[in-house]
Amino acid sequence: MQIQYAGFPYLTTILLACAAGLLLIVFIPEERRKLIRWVSAIFSGYTLVLSAYLFFAYDKSLGGLQFAEKVLWVPSLGIHYFNAADGFNLPNLLLTGIVFFTGVLTMWELETRAKEFFALYFLLVMGVFGLFMSMDLFFIFVWYDVSLFPMYLLIVIWGTTRKEYGAMKLTLYLLAGSALILPAVIYLFVKSGLNTFDIVALMQPGTFTEYQQKFAFLPLYLGFGILAGVWPFHTWSPVGHVAAPHGVSMVHAGVLMKIGAFGVLRVAIFLCPKGWEYWADLMALLAAVGIIYGALVGLRQTDLKYVIGYSSVSHMGVVGLGLATVTVEGLDGAVFQMFAHGVMTALLFSSVGYIYDRTHSKLISELGGLSKIMPVASSYFIVAALASMGVPGLANFWGELMVFIAAIKVYPVRGVVAVLALVITALFMLRVVQRTFYGPGNERYAQLPDISFSLGIPRMILLFVLVLLGFCPSLLLNVIQTASIPFMNGLPR
Amino acid sequence: MKWMSFAPEIVNFSAALWFLALSLATCPDARRDRLSSLLLATLGAAVSLTSVNCEGGLFGAVYQVDLFSQVFKVMLSLGLLFVVGLCGELNDIRDRNRHDFYVLLFVSTLAMMLLVSANHFIVLYVSLELSSYSLYVLVALRKDRDFGIEAGIKYFVSGIFASGIMLFGLALLCGTAQIVYLNELMRVSPDIANQPAVAIGVLLVLGGFFFKLAVFPFHYWAPDVYQGAMNQVAAYIATASKVAAIAVLVRLVASFGQAGSYLVHVLAAMSIVSMTVGNLAAIVQKDLKRLLAYSTIAHAGYVLIGILSMNPAGYAGAVFYALALLVMKSAAFLVVIMVAFDGRNVSIQQLAGLHKRSPILALTLMVSLFSLAGIPPTIGFTGKFLVFVAAMERGYFALVLFAMINVVISLYYYLLAIKAAYFLEPAEEPLPLPVSRPIRLLAGALIGVMVAAGFYPSLFIQLANAAVQSLM
Repeated sequence: MQIQYAGFPYLTTILLACAAGLLLIVFIPEERRKLIRWVSAIFSGYTLVLSAYLFFAYDKSLGGLQFAEKVLWVPSLGIHYFNAADGFNLPNLLLTGIVFFTGVLTMWELETRAKEFFALYFLLVMGVFGLFMSMDLFFIFVWYDVSLFPMYLLIVIWGTTRKEYGAMKLTLYLLAGSALILPAVIYLFVKSGLNTFDIVALMQPGTFTEYQQKFAFLPLYLGFGILAGVWPFHTWSPVGHVAAPHGVSMVHAGVLMKIGAFGVLRVAIFLCPKGWEYWADLMALLAAVGIIYGALVGLRQTDLKYVIGYSSVSHMGVVGLGLATVTVEGLDGAVFQMFAHGVMTALLFSSVGYIYDRTHSKLISELGGLSKIMPVASSYFIVAALASMGVPGLANFWGELMVFIAAIKVYPVRGVVAVLALVITALFMLRVVQRTFYGPGNERYAQLPDISFSLGIPRMILLFVLVLLGFCPSLLLNVIQTASIPFMNGLPR
Repeated sequence: MKWMSFAPEIVNFSAALWFLALSLATCPDARRDRLSSLLLATLGAAVSLTSVNCEGGLFGAVYQVDLFSQVFKVMLSLGLLFVVGLCGELNDIRDRNRHDFYVLLFVSTLAMMLLVSANHFIVLYVSLELSSYSLYVLVALRKDRDFGIEAGIKYFVSGIFASGIMLFGLALLCGTAQIVYLNELMRVSPDIANQPAVAIGVLLVLGGFFFKLAVFPFHYWAPDVYQGAMNQVAAYIATASKVAAIAVLVRLVASFGQAGSYLVHVLAAMSIVSMTVGNLAAIVQKDLKRLLAYSTIAHAGYVLIGILSMNPAGYAGAVFYALALLVMKSAAFLVVIMVAFDGRNVSIQQLAGLHKRSPILALTLMVSLFSLAGIPPTIGFTGKFLVFVAAMERGYFALVLFAMINVVISLYYYLLAIKAAYFLEPAEEPLPLPVSRPIRLLAGALIGVMVAAGFYPSLFIQLANAAVQSLM
């Protein structure tokens, strides 16, 4: 793989911006909430600008790894501080920037313990950024756990429904994932005999025997799969989404679950392509079950956030199905869907956040007729719900389309069943929209104000991205293909 | 120049003598005691650091000074300095016992230093006894009679039982192998390793140190002793004494070497049971010190993974782990000692509202518990990572997986304590917890070391590797 080293360490600058924001927030006194907010917004905005710059500055004709930075970190174990950007992680870095910035804005009105919240929030996102940009197995594992570290406190202190249960369940599930990942990572490190954690070095064909790849793929897939919400290990995710505060739910469903799918791609698939081909059947089965199961369970939910949580399980199933096809289109669709779903879910949680802050209710039965009371706030949710149904003109359509085209070729039965599940998704989303935003209103909420322009900014950004990619999918697709096509061509057949 | 290699021991010995002399003086002077103890402990640490490069045999080769032993001596004297630094009020023992406390503390450290350098069976045994007897008395010194005496007697009875077993093992080994020097073990072990008497002897000798490290099935004293002893003594037992035990175990197993492959099976079984028992029992604990005691038992299991790998990477992992344990447990006990400034025991419930009472202590607790749980980027993770890599090199995939499952279990109870500190609100209005500036600095330094050594462990790994090289 071609590596272009960076003249200026952009990727490290993103991490440093997170670290600097974190440190600044720690040293601002608790009372100065306004300052804390502005510092958070500025530093998160800076990461967004940087990641957007990288996304557009990436030389698509050249491809390969660009903006690379590599330093030998622990010589005796061959650990490198190795960051680079390629077509697979650039969309995810951009997504993280978008969700991070809009998440900070969504939590603008937070009053309780704002300092600690934003400090932990920065730590969480730093882990996410680090994982997406790292090309070293050891650092990928470290960043994985850095992003897990603050999750528990973020949910248990600022969360809502059943937060202690949800926080504990989430943390233990995700750590269980890392319990599967670490042995597999060390196994690969030892078996390679190269004394390095550098993914580029380890992914050379012939490094691992076929048996080793098959053996290591499964724990890697399951470990990262827990985070990606693969059925039947998804149960932490709806509970965790519901319990978490809105900004955290956004990062969580929007970005954190993508870490899982991205980990499957970057670690499991990159290092064990033979294992990938061998276990693809199982991946496709679990993904298809997840798509249908998430949709069916979502149908019966009474809490708005649970609905979004289960729809996430279903949509992440689409990502899994794309990965399981072992085709270029499948990979393209999976990465596209990761991005689209991230933006869409962030918008959903962000809009629910506004509604909940005003009404203090997330129960569908208590809400109703909201489109008359707060038409603008409702419209954000409704557009996101349309995106979730896969309506053409919004980003999700393309992701799902590509995955399903690939899936029906490779797995006809599972592919068709998964497409049918889309109908159920449409059904439950429409049901939620109808009961929450139309029909008779709840008297109690009649006096509530609609969303102001400034509070609407994060939702507008997300909406803009959804529509933009709905009409110009090639913006994203061209970047993804610079990675997916060479990768599939490079696989030993 | 030979005396330089013995300097750390001499400093500790003189310190003990100094307090012995003070105990003869009639007028107690708390300030003088405190200052002189701090001074002497600092001197001890400084001298250990300067003598780190010494090597050679002393006293007719019964005493082995090498990088391995000197690194451990630095750790021991840092552990002592830490405990002495936190002995501010010492209102948990009677005034007239204060000198005895310091005498025993320094003697115990001296004995552990002798232990990590011992190269002769008798030196090994005598220094182990010296350190143990000091600890028995230290535990029993607590003013609260019921707690202290009960814990002291429990510790004493099980301790002498363990040392009896060990003595028997030494006798068997000495009789069958015809050796008294540890470093000869490496030479003769391939020929004799499979004799039943030698196998039993080695296991019994190791048992004596398993007792100190609190490995299953030698673990049952730990919770009661931690709970019964005063906080500072519990901190000392959890840090310095564990470090010494790890040092001797590494030395013994490394000299016996791969000749006794049956050792691997025994050690693996003990390691797995230790981790599981420790972690499962810790879940139901209400007292923070008891919780830390069970977590120590679990950690003994992780350390054993490094030792049973029987390769240089594994031994280096164990050395690194000893350092990690020293730092993490020190940080956790710093919080215990500070929260219980009047010397009582701390239950997990009493941590409620700690983030308001003292943010720095709450942060120290959180980082140390995450580190104990082995979440990167902390020193605890690096320690686990090193021993896991070593075990994987020998092909023990299942053992690593099992250890990781245990990590998940352990996070549960650590999170409960973190939740108490950050989320639970205390029943009555919480009083602010005054923390003096030196203690703040100490807490900050411990957090810094835990995180820095997690992110950039290269220097410590090199040190551990070099220390193990001197052993081979």
